[in-house]
Amino acid sequence: MPHGRSERLKYAFVGPALVLLLAFNLFPLLYNVVLGFTNAELVGGAWSWRGTANYGRLFEDGQFAAAVRRTALFVGSAVTIELALGFTVALALKERFRGRDVLLTALLVPMMLSPAVIGLFWNLILDGNYGILNQALAALGVDAPPQWTTDRDWKFASVLLVDVWMWTPFMLLISLAALNSIPGYLYEAAEVDRASRWTVFRRITLPLCGPLLGLAALLRTTDALKQFDLVMAITGPNDERTQTVSTLLYQVLFRDGKVGLGSAYACLVLVLVMALATVFTRYLDGLERRNA
Amino acid sequence: MKLVRALVLGLYALVALVPLVWMVLTSFKTRADTIALTPRVVPVLAAETEPASLAFPATLEAYGALGTVQAGAQQSFWEHLGHSVVIGLLSTLASVVLGTLAAYGFSRFRIAGAKDWLFFVLSTRFMPPLAVVVPILMLYRRFELEGTHLGLVLLYTVFNLSLSVWLMKGFLDEIPRAYEEAAEIDGYSRLDAFVKVILPEARTGMSVTAVFCLISAWNEYGFALTLNHSGAITVPAYFAGLQGNIEGMPWPQVAAGALLFVVPIVLFTVAIRKHLLRGMTFGTIKQ
Repeated sequence: MPHGRSERLKYAFVGPALVLLLAFNLFPLLYNVVLGFTNAELVGGAWSWRGTANYGRLFEDGQFAAAVRRTALFVGSAVTIELALGFTVALALKERFRGRDVLLTALLVPMMLSPAVIGLFWNLILDGNYGILNQALAALGVDAPPQWTTDRDWKFASVLLVDVWMWTPFMLLISLAALNSIPGYLYEAAEVDRASRWTVFRRITLPLCGPLLGLAALLRTTDALKQFDLVMAITGPNDERTQTVSTLLYQVLFRDGKVGLGSAYACLVLVLVMALATVFTRYLDGLERRNA
Repeated sequence: MKLVRALVLGLYALVALVPLVWMVLTSFKTRADTIALTPRVVPVLAAETEPASLAFPATLEAYGALGTVQAGAQQSFWEHLGHSVVIGLLSTLASVVLGTLAAYGFSRFRIAGAKDWLFFVLSTRFMPPLAVVVPILMLYRRFELEGTHLGLVLLYTVFNLSLSVWLMKGFLDEIPRAYEEAAEIDGYSRLDAFVKVILPEARTGMSVTAVFCLISAWNEYGFALTLNHSGAITVPAYFAGLQGNIEGMPWPQVAAGALLFVVPIVLFTVAIRKHLLRGMTFGTIKQ
């Protein structure tokens, strides 16, 4: 085959996808930077330059910083709980038994569902008065179960609870793969050496599961950072106890219509996201090199 | 140890599955039974039950009411489901086609900076929709794409390319190069070899990729809410719009609609259960 044709052919293969991706990512990025220096609004056309006033306000009023801290707390707690719980359940599901595959498939269902739709339905489950959760707690003898979605002190926990319900299956799935990838002869050797269960777990199971669990935690982190759907469904975008970065953006851009200020927020978010994406791809690269 | 294992599993399965079971039960209730002070757990085929009992008369009312337009909405559930189907299927088709082409390019040709390009493709997935949506909205207003099927189809196609390129590259890498070499010896051109030899081999991969693209377009909410707040509103945005309705949430209809909305997803999940791990990790873990 002539060299030139193959050259052109390969760009015909990768070109369309890459051009679309570049267009849909670079344009918003650059336009956000421009808008961040203006007082543009969502409705009404005329806008003027405001210099760095939006950024000044962003650092002054503390709302953005608070949303970043809250998102970090959310991501940290969600990923930790989901990983610990998913790994524990994976340990219990590791051995084969009758009906195991059916049970596993059923347990994985929540992560495939629409968070916006399911989050909305969770309001009925979590309702303080007629929700099934509090009715069950009352039946178990809990005196005054919390008003999950309306009590200031429980709102954050409620969003976290639903997120844990949705995403523990993801950690379970990856933990199972990690556990199954450990060769059986290591356990046999440990048995010959009469190592205790705890030693086996600490010296074989955990270290060999490590890289995959790290990948799981990173994937989940990048996803949880975008947390929007569940907060919208459970408390709405403007609740001081649950406002994440994405819901703050929604509030400023779409409820207040302040595109200039919101775009300044968005620019900072994108810088943070790109930094994290770099960390993630480095990790993935390292993982691939080790396997290669 | 066996007992501990059974206990952990039993407890977790209970908590994980009760919400789904509750959704099924709720869809067969009247609104009064969804907000009763004693939990209504047991469906019975009677016209009435004792007010304080755990039983409730099962009814299909909620399913019948899905055709009516709820307070706070402009169209019925069925019409919104139609928008979801059109947008989901078209964007999936486009993503799989474009993703397969790009993945084949990356899998078989030397491309300058291939690794960097692939990581760029993956990192587009990390962008929070709310941080990029306003420029897209302004562009869409200019080209009259706001509130249209085409607007979301285009966006979901691009959004799912990261998934599609990465998954398909994994699947295509597993097809031996000897296939194309043999085809070329038989006189096929490179393009012919791709269409007639590689694509049939990649069928499973393309189906799995299609399912994951469809699910993520089907479930998407951030873009759907902000780009199509009128016109072609998909189901997640439609349900969210029912909130804050003065007559209170129509819980049985919400449950019935949500159930119909998630049933296809559950079926797909079962169908591709062997590939779930791969799909959820962008093909970075192969099993």
